[in-house]
Amino acid sequence: MTGIVLAAAIGTLFALGTFLLLRRDLIRVVWGLAIISQAANVYLLAMGGIAPATAESVPILAGHGEHVPETADPLVQALVLTAIVIGFGMTAFALVLSYRVYEEHDTLDVTELGESE
Amino acid sequence: MTATPAGTASTLVIAPMLVVLVAAAGTLLLGRHPRARTAVSLAGGAGYAIAVAAIDWYIVLGPDAPGIATYQVGDLPAPFGITLVADGLSAFMLTMVAILGIASLVFSTRHLPGGEGRSYYFPLFHFLALGVTGAFLTGDLFNLFVWFEVMLMASYVFVAYSGGPQHTRAAFWYVTLNLLASAVFLLGVGGIYATTGTLNMADLAQRLAEPAAYGLEPVPVVGLLGLLLSVFAIKAGLVPFQFWIPTAYRAAPPQITALLAGATKKVGIYAIIRLSFTIFAGAEVAVDLPLPLVDVAITGDSPLPFVGAALFVMAAGSILLGGIGAVGRDSMEGVFAYSSIGQVGFIAIPVAIATTAAGPELRTFAIIAALVYALNHTLAKGLLFLAVGTVRSATGTSRFADLGGLAKRSPPLALAVFVGSLALVGIPPLSGFFGKFLVFDAAARAGSGPVLVLLLVGSLLTIAYATRLWNRSFWGARTDAVEAATVDPVQVAILVGLAVAIIAVGVGFEPVYEFAETAAEAALDTEGYVDAVDPQTASELAGSNGGGH
Repeated sequence: MTGIVLAAAIGTLFALGTFLLLRRDLIRVVWGLAIISQAANVYLLAMGGIAPATAESVPILAGHGEHVPETADPLVQALVLTAIVIGFGMTAFALVLSYRVYEEHDTLDVTELGESE
Repeated sequence: MTATPAGTASTLVIAPMLVVLVAAAGTLLLGRHPRARTAVSLAGGAGYAIAVAAIDWYIVLGPDAPGIATYQVGDLPAPFGITLVADGLSAFMLTMVAILGIASLVFSTRHLPGGEGRSYYFPLFHFLALGVTGAFLTGDLFNLFVWFEVMLMASYVFVAYSGGPQHTRAAFWYVTLNLLASAVFLLGVGGIYATTGTLNMADLAQRLAEPAAYGLEPVPVVGLLGLLLSVFAIKAGLVPFQFWIPTAYRAAPPQITALLAGATKKVGIYAIIRLSFTIFAGAEVAVDLPLPLVDVAITGDSPLPFVGAALFVMAAGSILLGGIGAVGRDSMEGVFAYSSIGQVGFIAIPVAIATTAAGPELRTFAIIAALVYALNHTLAKGLLFLAVGTVRSATGTSRFADLGGLAKRSPPLALAVFVGSLALVGIPPLSGFFGKFLVFDAAARAGSGPVLVLLLVGSLLTIAYATRLWNRSFWGARTDAVEAATVDPVQVAILVGLAVAIIAVGVGFEPVYEFAETAAEAALDTEGYVDAVDPQTASELAGSNGGGH
């Protein structure tokens, strides 16, 4: 069940991101990029799989011994943290850049930008 | 080889990265003091060259060299920590980057684009070099992604550096494309982790060679490798991912464009070679992909035939589109940007030949051809883009309409550009001759007639655009801009230095060929790579720690 929900969520995010990426407004394009990179992050997280937790696979459970039904692979979580930080930085950069584009061209319309060469 | 080979060779692996990182931090701190900043920057460049030379000698080429050395970051054994690996292939690539990097760095100290106030130029320069170096040295797939991002982040700023309308616009396209590529890279990495349970390249190679022993179902790896290949093709600028190159190369300062063409492009090529041959060549996957439209079936027992088919198509497209595009441009950097698309095609053709090669001999030879061609492209295109910088800072323009008669105005500059252009065309005894010769020879040995014709057409196009560039800017009547030009002697000296390097590689080709041969053998030596990295299993690790904690 978790798998289906995750797959549907990832699919929806990619679809939404692609839709926004194809808009004419530059800010929407940036949003599209942000959503696509978040979709990739969720995908990465899902790739760790979800398995019953044991004291061997999750160190923090070793000292407690209480039953925890399911947990995810901690490695992909570490990877995703790195990817989120990079994605955050890039989104901020893309937003600043789109403001500079607006300053230089007085427009945020992708078609008008394409014609301004 | 022990699990954590201590000592000099191991420490050397991380040395170039540390040197650039220190230089980047130092120049960042000294941003307000131009002289100290320049001094630290140059010292960093010199230190980098020394570190790379030390890797070349003590790890790869020297008499007692082990051929390969690893550095386990934080002393965490592979595959649990991040592994850095220096072998022949990495060393060859690093050497190319070091030569061009020094030239571009010294050039930048003579002519800082945008004026002395741009205190962030040198830190970014070093961060760009750091990303490239890390990508060449890492032995971990996710870490490769991180170094790509470091490299890209610096290059984004450089594309937008001049801040005009066309620069910000080019930067926005460049950022958009590469952010998408990064997401695709993450998809590939995540998929490979889910399929194989590891991201350490050596561990990956080991597991894919015996999927049954590790209980893996490796078939998805072919498609995932395709995803990664498209990301690397974007970095290398192969057709159909070439469209960002002309705008981005025109927007960035010329001395950075030299690095983008000479170094970051090669990262894409390196990643294709490293992943296809060292990691995925031994994968036990039955590939059977019928293509009814063109009546060809791609079959084999590793993902390589699939990679090869894709690379052939992309390389052929690049050679034709790059060559034809370059003939019609109206500025120097426009010609060189399109030329660089075509030249990467010339590098990708032998790589594609290697993937489909019948025997190990032809495979090694084809990779040697690709590496020698890559070296020639780095030197020649680096020289030519720096020459664009010289022409621009002397005359204020690089458009053919405003240029003419440069040859008489500055004979040394003309001579250097002449050597660079001839190296692109492939005239003996320059480095380009051997590059072209080896690529043609590899195609002939593979017995592929259509590829030979394609290479011939590509070479003719190269002659056409090189001649046109020469006629339009260096011969003919002097224009006002050329008349008023003041050519900086140090900039010209750097160009002449690179021209001498191109001639030296051609005249003393024997050692260069041997280095390329060592690099090609390292690229194909999966077993040696796995042995050196020595990925442990959890039970082995527990044993060596005396039963764990």
